[in-house]
Amino acid sequence: MKFKNVAATGAVLVTVAIALSACSSSSTTGSSTTAAPSTTAAAEATSAPLDASLTGTITAGGSSAQANAETAWITAYNAQVKGVTVNYDKSQGSGGGITNWLAGSYDFAGSDSPLKADQQTSAQTLCGTGGGLNLPVYLDGVAIIYKLDGVTKLNLSTETLAKIFSLAITTWNDPAIAADNPGVTLPSTAITTVARSDGSGTTQNFTNFLSASAPTVWTAPASNTWPITGNVSSQKGGSGVVQAVGAGSGTIGYADHSAIGDATAATINKVEFSQDAATAAFAAGATTVPTATGDLSQKFDYSKLTGTDVYPIPLVSYQIVCSTYKDAKQAELTKSFIGFVASTTGQKVAAKNAGSAPIPDEMLTKVLASLATVK
Amino acid sequence: MSDKISVQSAPPSSPGSVGTTTGKAPGDSPRNSAAASRGSSRVRPGDFIFRFLSTGSAVLIMIILAGVALFLIISAIPAITADWGTNDQLNTGPTAGFPNFWAYVGPLIWGTLWSAAIALLIGAPIGIGIALFISHYAPRRLAGILGYLVDLLAAVPSIVFGLWGIIVIRPFLLPLSDWLSANLGWIPLFGGTVTTTGSTILAGALVLAVMILPIITSISREIFLQTPRLHEEAALALGATRWEMIRMAVFPYAKSGIVSATLLGLGRALGETMAIALIISPAIIVSARLITEGQNSQTIAANIALNFPIATTLQRDALIGTGLMLFVISLAVNSIARVIVNGKPRSGKKKSKTPGPSSPGPLSRVPAGDFASATAIDVVAGSSRAGKPGDDGPAPEETNEGARF
Repeated sequence: MKFKNVAATGAVLVTVAIALSACSSSSTTGSSTTAAPSTTAAAEATSAPLDASLTGTITAGGSSAQANAETAWITAYNAQVKGVTVNYDKSQGSGGGITNWLAGSYDFAGSDSPLKADQQTSAQTLCGTGGGLNLPVYLDGVAIIYKLDGVTKLNLSTETLAKIFSLAITTWNDPAIAADNPGVTLPSTAITTVARSDGSGTTQNFTNFLSASAPTVWTAPASNTWPITGNVSSQKGGSGVVQAVGAGSGTIGYADHSAIGDATAATINKVEFSQDAATAAFAAGATTVPTATGDLSQKFDYSKLTGTDVYPIPLVSYQIVCSTYKDAKQAELTKSFIGFVASTTGQKVAAKNAGSAPIPDEMLTKVLASLATVK
Repeated sequence: MSDKISVQSAPPSSPGSVGTTTGKAPGDSPRNSAAASRGSSRVRPGDFIFRFLSTGSAVLIMIILAGVALFLIISAIPAITADWGTNDQLNTGPTAGFPNFWAYVGPLIWGTLWSAAIALLIGAPIGIGIALFISHYAPRRLAGILGYLVDLLAAVPSIVFGLWGIIVIRPFLLPLSDWLSANLGWIPLFGGTVTTTGSTILAGALVLAVMILPIITSISREIFLQTPRLHEEAALALGATRWEMIRMAVFPYAKSGIVSATLLGLGRALGETMAIALIISPAIIVSARLITEGQNSQTIAANIALNFPIATTLQRDALIGTGLMLFVISLAVNSIARVIVNGKPRSGKKKSKTPGPSSPGPLSRVPAGDFASATAIDVVAGSSRAGKPGDDGPAPEETNEGARF
């Protein structure tokens, strides 16, 4: 009898759980399917309407920075095109993504840096003379996070930031930091900088910024691995950096803004990160430096990122496609998916679900134009 | 004997009916059919197939091992022979700033050995202690449970150990690091700027020590359990305390087994990747400092895991090259373990003949060798087949022992 009661309670719980999950899943899919067409109507950059009858599998992988956005894109894309399966393997990292793509195993690669010259040369064997195209589809910012007891708001100038991360400043009450933060009482705690121990596009973007914006202080090269040795805490992955900064005291580190969670971010030159500020940075500072016809590799001119609503350390990530695919069907599938990703709708989906910043519509139009030339 | 042969030669389809093969009625006596089957030296298909399968498996493992070695060597050659000073690929990212391959791999080899050595220093005594407790001190019930728990430790994935290291061990060791730095900072080991996040090689090695416990414990326990009972009882009967008995009867007997258990633990520690990659804040430098933030020597395995995803082609080759070095080191460690284990039997066999008066103490000559070592190998090979301790011929030792007390 007792057992029967327990079983009955269990059954009720299971039923409730199923009902709840069914409820939540139906409501989310419902809203996304209804929301998508309405925003598409108002969008400025749209690809050709998605062909819902497509079937097949897209295999891709690379950058882990894009991973959350990819998940959001795939979910939203499959809400409209049910027959296409998109597999994105984030475990490969940007370098692995490009390597596998060059080997022909991926339909497109996600990468935090565009193809280098020698990679573009190898891409010609895969994609014909047109080579590969770097399409900027993901925008975020590098956040500077810190933990310092008693200091809830911190502002750092570019110069001070470079001094801190190059270990030229070692205590929090240094005059340079004090000058950036008038009226804030800074403790004499030692500064521990926290960097990535693994190679990463975040490190690449951050060191690009430092070497371009503060060349007199930051003499180390821009690199995808942290170039400073000494009293640096190196952690695996963006989550490792966020964890170590949070667990320490007097710590300061950098991470993709979408990954920082509850950590406190400093303002850079009094600009706080926001999705709009990152989009503004892209619009203000990014110039296209093509490595092939239709290629949209971006280079930031950091000296232009000085406005009060422009976040100075943007992070852009690419999807790399072939100019000519060997298999016309894969070309069609890839164009359909990236067409969605590079639409205003796709960018909004990523902004909402992955915390990234939308790429400006002007650039999206260019991406879609490049994509249209893909065969 | 003849029974055995007849059963072996029977086809697998009818293992019980030994007579069928010779065409005689199944009721025949085994002895007769055995004689018959011995006469006709036909090879049975079952025999052939089984022999083929087992030989094939043996050959396959050799091919796989050779294949791995070949892959490592072929992939590594471009990076080893490249001019690191001028090569564009090797001048950026993870391999930047090293004049050649050896300058890159050198500190990594040091870091690998150093972290494993600290882990061993912490882990081996504890592992042996646990094994001793299970085999000689714990009540039977508790021993069973404890043995099971230690084996369970081996099943915990290393990523879990890594997370445990980050979230629990790192903050846990912070006060100790501060204290060591403040009071013993003059010792080079504890020098340098003390850590604030706790991601030190000390924390990594501590977690590593926990990870190698199961190997050391289970092998040592097997060997301790097989110490000849007569030796132990003799020691106790002569008035030795339990500790004296363990020191004089168990340890000498299990010596080579302990060594091989420790070396196998070392092998495990050398290759550990995830936990180290997560916990330690690495730098590719030769450093022995234990409690700093930026002066922890990186290990080969963790370095590969951290940099492989972003590596370009030649950088991958360089990383594979460091993997080749790890392969060589692991091979060397395992070979040394084997040599220590296998090197003993000869002296072990001699001992029963000549209980020479020149040796330091009677009990120290207790069959140090063959049996314990053989058991260690069995345990390694995954079979816990127990041998018979009787063949050690303990009689001479016992008579000598009397003279000693």
